[in-house]
Amino acid sequence: MGRIKNQIRRLRFDHGEMTQEELANRAGCTRQTIIALEQNRYVPSIELAFRIARAFGVPLEEVFQYEDS
Amino acid sequence: MAPLQKRALYSFVIGLVLTIALVAVLVTRGSVTAYESDLSLRLIMYAVLIGVPLVYLVLVYLTFRKPTQIDERDRIIIERSSRAQWLAVIFTLVAWTIALTEIYSDQGQVPIAFLNLILWSTLIISALAQSLGILVGYWEMNRNG
Repeated sequence: MGRIKNQIRRLRFDHGEMTQEELANRAGCTRQTIIALEQNRYVPSIELAFRIARAFGVPLEEVFQYEDS
Repeated sequence: MAPLQKRALYSFVIGLVLTIALVAVLVTRGSVTAYESDLSLRLIMYAVLIGVPLVYLVLVYLTFRKPTQIDERDRIIIERSSRAQWLAVIFTLVAWTIALTEIYSDQGQVPIAFLNLILWSTLIISALAQSLGILVGYWEMNRNG
């Protein structure tokens, strides 16, 4: 099994310190889910992953990466 | 704390308080045997029976009112909590069946008041188990992902 990592924290920083609340509103999820994602405690559905990538205006692969263990 | 987590906590506390209040009413009014002859006791029970689902519906409405209040992660937790709810209901019914069979098998009949008690206890346990299941679900998800 691999592991899915994400760059959400860095991307929020790169987007003018976008708040977790703002990202949650743009992606259509709760702030708690953003917190869980940033702490790598939750792997989102493909749909939410696309919505998060769209919120940042970047391709999916720039937000989420699959690592072989 | 997630909005759903907050509502689950409120539901659990309210449910627990109502359960304790129900037991207190039953005990102070002379237990189950007084139920059939005491109209005011029955009215209190009916009020609780109608009130609990209403409170539950209001809490559910408040939770689902805004799209950002609940998301896919919350839905996974709700789905998992239904397993705890189902198990709790089954165990409640099993406990009632064994207890009533053992107590009333000699008489060959069970007082009618127990029909209501079985219904109330199952509804209350079901609501409490769902709330508890949601709270445990968040705890597990925060721990294990």
